[in-house]
Amino acid sequence: MTSQTFAEKYRPKTFADIKGQEQAVEIAKKFVGEFNLGKITKSQKKALVLHGAPGTGKTTLAHVIALETKSEIFELNASDLRNKSKLQETLKPAIEQQSLMSNNKIILIDEVDGISGTDRGGITELLYLIEGTTYPVILTANDIWSKKLAPLRKKADLAQLKEINYQTIKDVLFNVLRKENLFLNQNIITKIAVNAKGDIRAALNDLQTVSKMKEPQLLELDERNKETDIFNALKIIFKGKPSNEILRTFDSVNMQLDEIMLWVEENIPAEYSGQELAKAYDALSRADVFKGRIYKQQYWRFLVYENILLSYGICASKKNIKTGFTSYKRPTRILKIWLNNQRTAKKKTITEKYARLVHVGKKRALNEFPIIKQIIKSNENIQKELRLTEEEIEYINRPVEINYF
Amino acid sequence: MISEIWTEKYRPSSFGELVGQEEILKRIAALTNSFNIPHMLFAGPAGIGKSTMALIVVKELFKENWKENYLELNASDERGINVVREKVKSFARTKSLGKVPFKVIFLDEADALTPEAQQALRRTMENYSATCRFVLSCNYSSKIIDPIQSRCAIFRFKLLEKKDIERYLKRIMDAEKITVSPEAIEILYEGSEGDCRKAVNLLQSTASIASNITAELISTVISSAKPKDIKIVLDYALAGDFQKSREKLLDIMLKESISGQDVIKSIQKEIWNLPIEPEIKVKLTEKTGEAEFRLVEGSDPFIQLQALLASFVLAGLGKG
Repeated sequence: MTSQTFAEKYRPKTFADIKGQEQAVEIAKKFVGEFNLGKITKSQKKALVLHGAPGTGKTTLAHVIALETKSEIFELNASDLRNKSKLQETLKPAIEQQSLMSNNKIILIDEVDGISGTDRGGITELLYLIEGTTYPVILTANDIWSKKLAPLRKKADLAQLKEINYQTIKDVLFNVLRKENLFLNQNIITKIAVNAKGDIRAALNDLQTVSKMKEPQLLELDERNKETDIFNALKIIFKGKPSNEILRTFDSVNMQLDEIMLWVEENIPAEYSGQELAKAYDALSRADVFKGRIYKQQYWRFLVYENILLSYGICASKKNIKTGFTSYKRPTRILKIWLNNQRTAKKKTITEKYARLVHVGKKRALNEFPIIKQIIKSNENIQKELRLTEEEIEYINRPVEINYF
Repeated sequence: MISEIWTEKYRPSSFGELVGQEEILKRIAALTNSFNIPHMLFAGPAGIGKSTMALIVVKELFKENWKENYLELNASDERGINVVREKVKSFARTKSLGKVPFKVIFLDEADALTPEAQQALRRTMENYSATCRFVLSCNYSSKIIDPIQSRCAIFRFKLLEKKDIERYLKRIMDAEKITVSPEAIEILYEGSEGDCRKAVNLLQSTASIASNITAELISTVISSAKPKDIKIVLDYALAGDFQKSREKLLDIMLKESISGQDVIKSIQKEIWNLPIEPEIKVKLTEKTGEAEFRLVEGSDPFIQLQALLASFVLAGLGKG
């Protein structure tokens, strides 16, 4: 008997085998088709990103493309992209050796999310590779909208693989059971399909487990831990009852705790008022104190306390659970800070010039800016002395600050 | 070229011109005249002559070559101790010009450095002690680590007396031919909080509007320079409108680029002008103190300030 998992054994081999992803398949066909016809015009992208949640068939689709176009897959991983020489070394055989089986090649970079955004090389090397390639490049990614992949989005076609609807998953499961000569209660199959939440690989794994059980009827499937989005997490924290479960709410949110803190901060007033408001902010403020201590002392265990205060602490600030719908807002503070920085850039450069001339710290000068501004404004010689640019002089003379918010 | 910014134009350029600090002056002048100075630590509040003293020392030491032999850094402006170290390194690489065998590095606001950064600074001081003398300035010498204190001669600058500041301002008024009424000088002194630089800036700022300076005019200038609207923030909070209060606070902090600590300071003062029961004033002051404590410990001043505003909302509801 083979030890292959169902997911491997029944991995689709043709475009027709792929269920529930018609749109992505169309885009993929078109991409490779045009590429192999040698009709790469300037507007034609040389790379295709298949993106979507885990288990929706990204890697499968990449391999099917290769099979259908009789291409050989040449796979790279994120670590091959660390620097130019490493990349060239890895790519050399692909470019130089003619494949024995076929002439076509596809370069596949699986799980590009793992690439480092800030590290040397990384995304830069990747873009360089795409720029110069003579073979189509296919990439897979869970989250194409992450910031570090932004440059890639411009250089590549995108095809989204949707979370597969439970009916489609059920069909696939039935198909597998038939081929395996197995029988399972319809209810259990439905349960597996729903529980998988769009992840067909997970469904097949569960099916395989269940089919080995003697009494599958007694099955209690563990809820698959899927990512909760931030809106859902906020709902749980703000509206729900404090329980130990609450402590893990933010674990399943794909976001740094720092960013989550901003979301919580922005939305406390939408949900709480009076005594509860004060309590919730008190918890938030204590969480921030621990955050400060982490930074200053580099003692990361404080993260535990930060997380507890931010989840359970906020949750327990209310007397009763809350019902009804609240529309949570995206944090706007960072944007406002950014806007303000744009607007006060001149103020900063003027202050810098002033501070250097009069032997004072920039921060102190900034604190006294209204007075300094009046002094500079009233005397053109001082403006010359400071070597102010025209824009800076214009800023100094601007009558009132406009309220942007 | 003589600067037209009065803090520069009238900055004392010799020991004789300095006002106040008589004791310190004698000791430092003696050291300077021997053409050998130790590392020095100048401690004391802002605007009482620490930077000026350092400048006079280097001018006396190096005469017209002082600029080549003097490096001025501000610890709270530089991005970390490594930047300071790099700058010191490249400055100290060349030997000093003239007969003085060392160069002088002035590090302003040295107490802005963390203890770890100060340890690194200590090593830098040691490495370059053959070619460089360090003059550190700080507000509180207690925030400077012991190993550095022990390597420096410490000079504690006193707050300038009222008569000293008045004498100094008088010199400027005469030279600039402006008249200032005695009441106006009084208000100017109060507004300066003993900070001579601030006093001169206030004077020049007001003089740019009129050459005859009245008490009224100077009050207007002082209040226009203060972070306004903190009262509005508190009024919103006491009236129970937390959202508006929070928005206004962010708005002020961004527009006036004032730090969380300055906001707390204004709030703490403003409590005494609020129409609330004495008992609540005490409670809110305690809350404000706690908020300031957490602000120093924490990472995000705005979060701490919001938490404080939430306490004001409660006080407004009579549940404080």
